[in-house]
Amino acid sequence: MEKMINYGIDLGTTNSAIAKFVRGEVEVFKNPLETGKETLPSVVYYKKDKIIVGSRARTYLERDAKNVFGTFKRKMGSTESFKVKNIDQSKTPIELSAEIIKELKGFVHTGEQVDAAVITIPASFDVIQSNATKEAGYLAGFKQVILLQEPIAASLAYANKHKERDLMNGQWLVYDLGGGTFDVALIKIKDGEMKVIDHEGDNFLGGADFDNLMVEKMIIPFLNKNFKFNNLEDELKSAIGKYNALYYKLIWLAEQAKISLSNRTSAELELTGISDDDNEIIDTSFEISRSEFESLAKEGIDKTIEMIKKILVRNSLKPSDIQFTLLVGGSTYIPYVRKRVEEILQIPINCDIDPITAIAIGAAYFAGTKEKNFEQDKSDKITSKIKVRLSYPKTSREEEEILAGRIDGNIDGLFYQITREDKGYDSGRKKLTSRISEDLPLLKDSYNFFRFTILDGHNNVVETDTELIGIAQGKFNVAGQPLPNDICLEIDIIPDLDISVGETKNCMYFQKNTILPQKRTITQTLNKTILKGSADKIIINVLEGSQYNLPEANQSIGYIEFTGEKFSRDILRGTEIEITLEMSESRDLKAIVYIPMSDQQFTKVFNPSQRHLPVSKLRDEVETLNEKLETELSEAVEREDYETAETLNEIKKKVNFLISNTTKLTDNDVTDKKYQYEDIKRKIAQEIDNATRDKRITTLKNSYFENKEWCKKIVEDNGNDHDNKLFYEIAGREQVFLNSITPIKIMEAIDELLSLGSDILWRTPAFLEGRFSRLLEKPQLFNDLEQAKSLIESGKLAITNKNYDRLREVNMGLISLLPKNAQVEARTGKIGF
Amino acid sequence: METTVKIPKPYLFIINQLFELEQKVGKLQEQNSIQRNIDKMKNYFETEALSEGQGLTYHNPIGESYDVTRTDCEATISGKSHENLEIIEVLKPIIYVKYGNTKMIVQKAITIVQSKN
Repeated sequence: MEKMINYGIDLGTTNSAIAKFVRGEVEVFKNPLETGKETLPSVVYYKKDKIIVGSRARTYLERDAKNVFGTFKRKMGSTESFKVKNIDQSKTPIELSAEIIKELKGFVHTGEQVDAAVITIPASFDVIQSNATKEAGYLAGFKQVILLQEPIAASLAYANKHKERDLMNGQWLVYDLGGGTFDVALIKIKDGEMKVIDHEGDNFLGGADFDNLMVEKMIIPFLNKNFKFNNLEDELKSAIGKYNALYYKLIWLAEQAKISLSNRTSAELELTGISDDDNEIIDTSFEISRSEFESLAKEGIDKTIEMIKKILVRNSLKPSDIQFTLLVGGSTYIPYVRKRVEEILQIPINCDIDPITAIAIGAAYFAGTKEKNFEQDKSDKITSKIKVRLSYPKTSREEEEILAGRIDGNIDGLFYQITREDKGYDSGRKKLTSRISEDLPLLKDSYNFFRFTILDGHNNVVETDTELIGIAQGKFNVAGQPLPNDICLEIDIIPDLDISVGETKNCMYFQKNTILPQKRTITQTLNKTILKGSADKIIINVLEGSQYNLPEANQSIGYIEFTGEKFSRDILRGTEIEITLEMSESRDLKAIVYIPMSDQQFTKVFNPSQRHLPVSKLRDEVETLNEKLETELSEAVEREDYETAETLNEIKKKVNFLISNTTKLTDNDVTDKKYQYEDIKRKIAQEIDNATRDKRITTLKNSYFENKEWCKKIVEDNGNDHDNKLFYEIAGREQVFLNSITPIKIMEAIDELLSLGSDILWRTPAFLEGRFSRLLEKPQLFNDLEQAKSLIESGKLAITNKNYDRLREVNMGLISLLPKNAQVEARTGKIGF
Repeated sequence: METTVKIPKPYLFIINQLFELEQKVGKLQEQNSIQRNIDKMKNYFETEALSEGQGLTYHNPIGESYDVTRTDCEATISGKSHENLEIIEVLKPIIYVKYGNTKMIVQKAITIVQSKN
């Protein structure tokens, strides 16, 4: 159990956050419902049966003002309370703040109970306001609460980031400009003790004002000037105005432009999907420059500077007495804020800390030094004797399903909450009753997992034995079982490896256990040219079986050949083709091949019960298998691996049996013998693979290490930072693919190294010159001597002028003039892609 | 089980552009095959951009109901009423990362909602 408090909470007017001190570092917890965000909007929404806190509550803030409450921090310590219509009760700012703290406790993903925290308060808070904050902490279930002033928290975040800097004595300003509020404080440190000396603030000034100004002063005049509107501003701003929805879109666009202007000198707002009063469709863009934005923001920023000046005058300080102005709050990302504050005040600004989370971070550092001084519970977890029985359908075609539950045990004062694991649904905190029922919205065509959590009044999790609720939506029905095997397409292996010439591999389309129906398109690049009318072909061979098997070991469930006769024009090597496979629930397979070059699309439906297996294809495959076996056998004998040779000899007998039987089959055979033989063939292929896999992997590993050394030298000699990064990215995966069960992964890595190395070489002057002089060795080989001559001249000139881009083009041009068999890189495969 | 995948920011940027492009193409009257290229890019993100078995997809929630339990959308309510809300404008789509048959939200939709009443 931890001795220190460790948790720090920034309980902000508009946003809050929670962080924890762990072994010298601080972790800011992520908002579990807001991907990537670490803050929680400080807004509470009371529905009749539940409480919603955060951004969803903020959505309703202006529309349901009798039930949604924000900025209540401004009322802390007052006697004011808020009447909540939905529950017919009044809530104090303390109670509302407690709801925020409870929600923040839910950010702690480690599941530990948070029983004490440091909570930050503005420098302006008096004793009553401070005590009210403390009370909110206790109400949220804390046994101990320590308060810390926000500017001090920000300063601590800074001091801990730069431990090496001497901050024992000095004074600085903390400038906090958030979304809707502004605070500035003068901090003094004497002999290591930090104090707030003075402060100023404006509760109604922040970044949102700049967005509004942009809409008001720039976008509305632009629309009025260029399009026909009668009363645009009112129609935008009034809740019953016909352009009210557009107003929120414009605010959003303005905010995006503001963010963009932090990095650029101008931003473009796209105004589309709007019609004016004459029903003319508006599709235009509007540019705003940084200087235009700055002239809008100037007034607000100058107001903040005036407040600082007041502080300086009150404390008889010159700008040179201040070390720096520490910037906090999201709006200090705006470059103009930084520039203006520094320019006018002549005090250096300090942007060293994350302005969004600095206060929570500083609070956590402080919490890491504060010891808990209360009796701790023996167990961290709250256990209960509550029995939960949940009932729900495991599969569904509906958009939502009912979850029914029966809860036995003492449920007084308890709540429950249901969340969907993708973070797309949250029921909110609801009162627990002995029988519950809830409509759970389901994501289409997915497994939906929901978590059912029981919480006590302080939002602490009560341990129960409930498990994840899993409901499969859409694709699942009784007949539609998950796929029992991977579905793959056979493709060529064409790296520059002698070991792989003529070999193929599996390209996985649908993974085992995927729920049908499925559809997927993969674009492949042709590795050979198919001339119109020729007998050259592309083969589509759809296979069922593990993606890690050899293709010949998997079962072919769909096979088509496309010869040049089918194409309306020549299809060139390097062209892309799109191959779509579609599998229905009843396992009908459809292959769609689209060739952009000829704009032709071929569709073929395979019915697995009428599998198409040409006898000629079977014979070819058996023949290929036999050749492969012979090669493996002689290699095994050569390296005196008699154990493997013996296994392969056994397999050889089966292959001989296959050869003699498939030869006897007629091309029009209608019996199911060909299927039986195909089955045997697959098993044999797998046996050969198993018997020789170790050897293949060893050979490939050696080849990998050789190529790695080769590539490393090239990267070191001639590569840039990016090449270096790519190289180490491949080498970093080494442990994974070298221990992989399939040689393909090693082959792919070798391929990556080869292409990285050759990419660098083709940018290297020495290599380009060497390649050029080698090409000149046999000029008689070039197909077009005239063109070759002119290219050679250009090449020589390029060398003289050191124009290596040109020399590269010349080399490429000369290679293309070589006869096909001399173009090493022009290897083609069996499949065609 | 908490799974975290780092989605490169440029991917999200491109997917958001792709979404906008798809909206615009949908409004074109004349025959075109731009959708094919959009589908191709969508497909690339779904099947190839990330490591094996993972993919990025997006969903346009336009016309769907909105209520306070939806945590996949950030909504702004237009009009006076906050009852029986419908999504009438989508500025950014919901982006999911897929692992096999399960999904995880990596970007909430930015929407404007209005009462159907």
